[in-house]
Amino acid sequence: MTGSESRSDLASFRDPAGRVFLKDGRVFRAVYRPALDDWTSVVESGVLQSLAAAGRVVAFDEVSRDVLGGEAGDPALVLEHPRLPFVSYPYEWPFKALKAAALHHLDIQIDALDGGVALSDASAYNVQFLGAKPIFIDLLSFRRYREGEFWLGHRQFCEQFLNPLLLRALVGVPHNAWYRGSLEGIVSAELSRLLPLWRKLSWNVLTHVVLQASLHRSAMAHGEAVDARKIRKMSLSRQSYRGLLTRLRGWVSHLAPADKEGTVWRDYAKANSYADGEAERKRAFVAAYAAQVRPSLLWDIGCNTGDFSAVALAAGAGYAVGFDFDQGAVDLAFDRSARENLRFQPLIFDAANPSPDQGWRQAERKGLRARADADGLLALALVHHLAIGRNVPLGQTVDWLVDLAPTGVIEFVPKGDPMVRELLKLRDDIFPDYGIDAFVAALEARARIVRRESISSEGRTLFQFERRAA
Amino acid sequence: MMLRYMLFLSAFLCFSGVGQVAFAYLDPGTGSMLLQLLLGGIAGAFMVIKLYWARFKDFFSRRKSGPADRAEK
Repeated sequence: MTGSESRSDLASFRDPAGRVFLKDGRVFRAVYRPALDDWTSVVESGVLQSLAAAGRVVAFDEVSRDVLGGEAGDPALVLEHPRLPFVSYPYEWPFKALKAAALHHLDIQIDALDGGVALSDASAYNVQFLGAKPIFIDLLSFRRYREGEFWLGHRQFCEQFLNPLLLRALVGVPHNAWYRGSLEGIVSAELSRLLPLWRKLSWNVLTHVVLQASLHRSAMAHGEAVDARKIRKMSLSRQSYRGLLTRLRGWVSHLAPADKEGTVWRDYAKANSYADGEAERKRAFVAAYAAQVRPSLLWDIGCNTGDFSAVALAAGAGYAVGFDFDQGAVDLAFDRSARENLRFQPLIFDAANPSPDQGWRQAERKGLRARADADGLLALALVHHLAIGRNVPLGQTVDWLVDLAPTGVIEFVPKGDPMVRELLKLRDDIFPDYGIDAFVAALEARARIVRRESISSEGRTLFQFERRAA
Repeated sequence: MMLRYMLFLSAFLCFSGVGQVAFAYLDPGTGSMLLQLLLGGIAGAFMVIKLYWARFKDFFSRRKSGPADRAEK
């Protein structure tokens, strides 16, 4: 997304009040005339400035209207935002991140309401992360609060934050796969059908999920009896509005995954087959790589709980995004990032099925490669999962990894290793070509091997590579 | 009054016969709005009850503590 092109970000088409443009690696927001009144009153309230100063809302500066040229039409004003290191989507967030984003959204609403400002929607895509710290990015969602108005984003909040959290908290099913297929979130009526009866007896579940779904169903079925205009004419007191927000906040803050049993990889750091010296050598190798290359954006594929991202960040990497398919491990990684205040964002991700380009025109939500150019890569204890666990040919596995970033560290785990033996325990070994020589040949076809080091007696080996120009 | 109306409306919507589908282009947020009115009404009612309960308690505690205590306040 670098380069000198100027283009409209296709994720911002929904709001006629403004659009986001990327130009020369900078991020601009054009604000159009219909939104100007609200924008002015929100700025006058001082709410946005104090939220931005606290880092809770993305920072903004007004710049010259000419900076965007003709493509932006005739905006009333143009704002510039600092560029986020990586954009992620709620279907990639672990439970802990979705919960942090939900609380962040509610906290901003509560503080804004106290300052006479309301939010026009509750899209989860308007929350992004810096490490484990949520940040609200859509300034044009803020507008003047009108006495007596409803919380217009309530349904959207339920579908995009609450229901996906409840799916895991009440049923023990992670939200990610469903959310990825249903970009607007999880509809209350569908969640309601899945909940066991005893879960529906809680007041919060009964009202926000079951009753909301049934009120909606009834309203649709009795369209003639229920005049939507009449309902809209009724009013909600400011106190009730605020009470709704604070009570939801209290509920969400107590939600925890219902599936408490250890997942495979969250226990890996403790129960893995490494000898201690091996882990030390691995850390030293990664640190030396990060100190030498100093990648500004590092992708850690198969990050587990984030040990090696933390090592790379301490040694000189700028920002790390971790990817792993294990819910428990990624939740722990998120906790670590929050606790240690790291520039590290862990995401749920299946390396054999990365996030696609999707949504409207398949351009609204971007796939991994279209979102950012990483300049560093860690792929530790990953290759055997793809090449043996998922039957991806070894050469293709190496090609894919080398395509992701121009430099990086890849670990090769040989067949004699206990972890690979585990993978092959219940199946035929149909991988006669899987071996270190084939791996080296595949890597050298695309890249220069800068350094290699064998770190275990079974032959686990680390390779630092530098991709050759195509 | 408002609360009673809301409860009635919700009960009507929830329990009146289903099946006569007259598809209307209702805003999909209608259910959420009705719910907010209901929750707002209930929260308001609790506030009123709390207020009266506090007055009620206050009334009896004053009677128990007698005029001397009040003079100290």
